[in-house]
This record gives sequence, structure tokens and C-alpha cells, in this order.
Amino acid sequence: MTDGSLQQGNTGFTENDWYDDKLPDVIRPTRSHPLRKLTAVFLVIVLASLLGISSAYLIIERDQPLDAVTIGPWRAFPKAGTNEADPYSVAIYTRGAVVPLASGEGLALVAREDSAGHQLDPTCIYRLSGQTPTARLWTLTAVDGHGRLVETLPGRVHLASNNLLRSPDGSFEITAARAPHSGNWLPLAASAKAADGLRFMLRLYDAPVTTGAALDGVSVPAIDRLGCP
Amino acid sequence: MTLSTRFSLTVGLLATLCLAAIIHILVVFSIPQNVQHSAFDNVAEHGPDRQFNLLPDVKPGQEALPELDPAMKHATCRFELADGPVLFDASIPVTFWSIGLFNSAGEAVYSLNNRTAGAERLSMLVLTPGQLSILRENPPENLEDLIVIETPEISGFALLRAYVPHHTKAAEIDAALQAASCQGI
Repeated sequence: MTDGSLQQGNTGFTENDWYDDKLPDVIRPTRSHPLRKLTAVFLVIVLASLLGISSAYLIIERDQPLDAVTIGPWRAFPKAGTNEADPYSVAIYTRGAVVPLASGEGLALVAREDSAGHQLDPTCIYRLSGQTPTARLWTLTAVDGHGRLVETLPGRVHLASNNLLRSPDGSFEITAARAPHSGNWLPLAASAKAADGLRFMLRLYDAPVTTGAALDGVSVPAIDRLGCP
Repeated sequence: MTLSTRFSLTVGLLATLCLAAIIHILVVFSIPQNVQHSAFDNVAEHGPDRQFNLLPDVKPGQEALPELDPAMKHATCRFELADGPVLFDASIPVTFWSIGLFNSAGEAVYSLNNRTAGAERLSMLVLTPGQLSILRENPPENLEDLIVIETPEISGFALLRAYVPHHTKAAEIDAALQAASCQGI
């Protein structure tokens, strides 16, 4: 930019010409309107609140504490519900008023997906087979996507380890389905839609694997989808 | 002040993200203080403090507390250590039972099951460090037989779980849970 192009005509620039239209855009100071500034600040605050609150809501609603130990399709949250829990677990547990299974009692494992990684569906038929980590007693319960129990055809919603048919090597095979099945049958919701969701809860009582470190390399039941209507 | 449009957009975006992160953290941390029904409050709905209250059987649609095991029967006892030490005493004739002590925030403070209790009978004394030092000056004779838990948590609750192997044993377990005590010494 040369002087000549700035000083067009015969008038020299004074302070009063500061806002002159003849100044090139780049050096013309734009003093934004106070209302515009206010709108910008307001917009930032509204957007930030929306973003912050919705992201917090989504994480809490997922209902899955962060420090999970994953073994096959199963997840355990050994630290949730203790004073070592992360803030998200604390928020999820206190919001749900969940009384956790304490480490001296046992460990709860949750499955939301089958071994192939597909979301569990209460209208399908699943086979849970294999072995569980060592425990004095374990129970397997089918609940909906919110962790609530559901009505089933026989009224029973769980299976316990001491009433199970096993093969000679100690492994077992459980069929989880809505309709009765021979062998070990875990009844699923009698009238459920796919959208209701399904979770399997495997609670190991008096198990040596109550801390996360001991969970590596233990065998857990595999969950295979046998068929869907 | 002169800012190019791109620069002011970047500043605006950064400001939004930073503020969003702060709000996210504040929301997550404020949830525990603002819950309407904590586990500690819910337990109180099932009966008076300082006694074991049998929870109704865990059935679909009528769960007393969320995520309880339908294979178990439960009893809870809420206590305030400010009212004095609490002695838990129970004899439950099942193959598995366990008790968990939780503070008012619902965090597990202590837990044991019938194998780690070392005896068929549960006898556990919960008190604050101050109460323990008073008790030590004039110890009751059965102090050695008790599991003594020293905790700074003033208020909390206990959840006793008993496994029901078969529904024919349900009445017997109900009676044992109702007979369980949670009182002062």
C-alpha cells in the first residue's frame, strides 16, 4: 500500500477520517457494535452449556463406568462403588442409587454384546458356554437395557451355579431364550421388543477375582447368537 | 481492536470448547450432590434405623433397590455411629451369605462373606476410632470374638445378602434375616 493510494484527492487524513470509507478494509478499524459483541458472548455461552451438559448426560446415561475390565464379551467394574471410583462411576452409581457388590462379597460381570460384538437382543436365542472364573457360587440373570428385571414365562429370571447341568469337565452350556429349552434354560423376557435391550449379569460370589489385576486370563462363558426370529 | 473474521471464529470456537469442558466437569461432579434418591435414602423407606429390615423379594417390577440379585434375599440396616457403636449379629443357615457396609454416599466401606467371616455366625462391631479407644479402656469380654471395624464414616448402612438355594428354604431364611440384629452393645 503506498501513500498515494491512501491520500486520494487533496485532503490529508486526520483522526476524523479514521472511519472513512476510502480507507482499505484491512486497516480500517471495525469497532463492532456492542450488541453484536453481546450476541457473540451469549452464543458462546449457550453453545458451551449445550455441549457440556449434553456430553455429560450422554456419558452418564450410557450407564457404563469408565474404568472397566473387559474379558471377552463381559465387563466388570471392580472400582465402581468404592472410594477409588472415577467421577463418572460415582455419578452413575449415585444417580441410579445402586448398591454395588462389594469386593468381599463378589464381583458382577455384565455383558451387553455377544462374543461377535453384536448388541444383545431379547428376541434372539443365545448360547452361553464355557466356564466361569473360580467362585463359590455364581448366578446368571437376564435384565433389560436399563438393568431392570423383566417378566418371563416361568417367572424365574436367573440361573444359579449349583442347579446347573454340566459336562464331565465342569463346563456348561446355557440356552437363553424366550421359549422353553431343554438343558440349562435361562428365560428371557416374555414380551420384549428388540428396543428394550438385554444384558446378562454374571455375579460371582466369594470369588478370588475381585480385583482388576486378577481378572487377566480367566475363562468366561462365550455368548453366541443361535438365531433370531 | 481489529480481528479478522477467521481469527474471531477460532477464538469463539476455542472459548466454546473450554467453557463446554468446564461445564461438563461441573455437571458430572454436581450429580452426586443433587440426586433425589440415594441408596442411603432408599434404604430408610423399608423400616426404622438400627434394625435389620427385610427387603421384599427381588421380582420383576418390584425391585426394592436397583441391581439386586433375584437369587438372594436381602436385609438392610441403616445406622448413625453418632448414636453409639453398632453390633451386627446374625446366624443364617445357608451356604452363602455376605454383608457389605456402605457409607452414606453408597461407597463400600467393608464387606465379608460367610467364609471370610471365619465362623458360621456373623458378629461384627462397627465403631468410630474415638469409640474404640473408649471401649478399649473397659473391653467387653467377648471383644476377641467380634470382627471390629473402625471407620470414620458416621452414617451408613449395611446390606445383608443370603442365597436362597431353593424356594422351600425361603421362610427359614426370612426368619433368620428378621432375627438378625443391628443394635448398640
